[in-house]
Amino acid sequence: MAAFPYYDASALQALGAQATSILGLFGARGYVHEEPSVLQPAEIFLDRSGEEIRRRTFTLTDPSGRDLALRPDLTIPICRDAVRSDRKWPARICYNGLVFRHQPGEPNRPTQFFQAGAELLGLEDRAAGETEILSLTIDALRVSGLKDFSLRIGDLALFNALVDALALPRQWRQRLKRHFWRAGYVESLLYWLGHGDGTAKLPGTRAEIETLLDSQGDAPAAGRSRAEIVTRALDRATEAATLRLDPVISDAIAKLLDISGPAEEALAEVRALLKATGIALDPQLAAMDARLATLKSLGIAPEKVQFTAHFGRNMEYYTGFVFELWARDREGQVQVAGGGRYDTLLESLGAKQAVSAIGCAIRTERLLAAKAVA
Amino acid sequence: MMLSLAIPSKGRLKENCHAWFAKRGLVMEQTVGARGYRASFAGFPEVEVMLLSASEIASALLEGDIHLGITGEDLLREEAPELKGRMHLIKPLGFGFADVVVAVSQYWIDVATMADLDDVCAAYAQTHRRRLRVATKYAQLTRSFFAQARISDYRIVPSAGATEGAPAAGTAEVIVDITTTGATLRDNGLKILDDGVILKSQAQLAASLTADWSAEARKTCETLLARLDADYPALASEFPV
Repeated sequence: MAAFPYYDASALQALGAQATSILGLFGARGYVHEEPSVLQPAEIFLDRSGEEIRRRTFTLTDPSGRDLALRPDLTIPICRDAVRSDRKWPARICYNGLVFRHQPGEPNRPTQFFQAGAELLGLEDRAAGETEILSLTIDALRVSGLKDFSLRIGDLALFNALVDALALPRQWRQRLKRHFWRAGYVESLLYWLGHGDGTAKLPGTRAEIETLLDSQGDAPAAGRSRAEIVTRALDRATEAATLRLDPVISDAIAKLLDISGPAEEALAEVRALLKATGIALDPQLAAMDARLATLKSLGIAPEKVQFTAHFGRNMEYYTGFVFELWARDREGQVQVAGGGRYDTLLESLGAKQAVSAIGCAIRTERLLAAKAVA
Repeated sequence: MMLSLAIPSKGRLKENCHAWFAKRGLVMEQTVGARGYRASFAGFPEVEVMLLSASEIASALLEGDIHLGITGEDLLREEAPELKGRMHLIKPLGFGFADVVVAVSQYWIDVATMADLDDVCAAYAQTHRRRLRVATKYAQLTRSFFAQARISDYRIVPSAGATEGAPAAGTAEVIVDITTTGATLRDNGLKILDDGVILKSQAQLAASLTADWSAEARKTCETLLARLDADYPALASEFPV
């Protein structure tokens, strides 16, 4: 792939024909075809995706000084419009368009590529939503003519529920959840909790904290309220006193995060490890079983499904079930589609309450390349 | 071809450079008619000395417009996060000391470390529905330091000057800035995080690896570095073959 792809007549024809069949399928399933503009206000991505994505987002300043971005994905602008135009839920929206990503340190990866995708917003029945999107993604590959592909699945909710079951201060639970997607880091935090020597120290009572705060003279509040600071200082004091995890549990979780393999065996391993820690995650495991049953009913052979416990994707807005579809192109395995649940995104874009959301995106150029090999 | 060397054109850095060379027997003479932006060493005409602003020197080294330059390591690292193949730091010069640090308001009594800041960034994003802003002119250094500290819930606000005033002015919540004694930060009600020192910087003699290193320029450089008691072979080993 070239950094600046050139689409010749045959490439355009092939991409166009493929897009027609994918969008045809989306349409037949009730998804309305829409497209946000290529140029977007920069902050809608930067405020949501963090510096990691910021590094990969092309930003520019318009002549009036406003910061703009070439859309690095279509999910955020589509969800933003869905919130602003006050849609009726559930909303089913699909798209096919270019996205733009700077590829730091990888000068041969494309800086723009096509994505075809679908977003299912505001469907209360989560299991039904997952089935619908899985089926849609798989059928989109099939209708394009790709027969052989495998899946990788994971669930951030599983890890979150596990962390919530731990006897840890709230801040530490949040910290573990927040960093779930960083391989290695979470393990080192867990090790420290189980085997470390608790170094957090801070004075304690509310009165002490209030006094300390009053003695800060003219120091600026810098965007945080007094209540915010007091609450966190109190949390931190509690934390110092209670920061300990049974090493048996911290080791078991680290082992659990390492589990990756054919889904049925991998989930059996997860169950065995959980049993050893005395933590029950029945609803989350039942949801995983249901997804496997769904995949089987969609005609996916069980050995084609891999479960990876430590699979959080590197887009920071995913919140639950995540999946990727992989195929082979001339150079090896390549991810042709992916998606997942992002239940907090719409609220962060201004929705008045939480709106459940799940979606998928297909890398159509990779899909073409994979079909050429098959 | 002459060997070009750029030194800062004003302030303490300029005076320190003059003194540093003089101590090693190289006395700088202003070139007549060049409006004070050219100079040379007495008895060493093969070296052309240019007086540029400290930040221009960093970018001129990166662009290969000059062979050698003296400027703050903070500026060099900000200009080129990855030095390899682009620049070689020959010698720290023992002046121009300054630290690039992460500082927050003293009012934030619950924040002492980068781990605290990580929590606050995440909580802030949730409560205020926007990312915490970090004002700095060191965007690259900030980005890589925050990445090492596993912080992602923030955004950088470019700052041209008086960065230390940003938290009080309400244009940013946190700053990354340069400090020597910490006095300016304290005067503005700010404190440095315990593990918030990004870089302990000082003036560096640096070579551009992308400049035109003719045999003649290399020879002159070898002679010059010998007089400065600096390691030429280490530099030569980095020249492109």
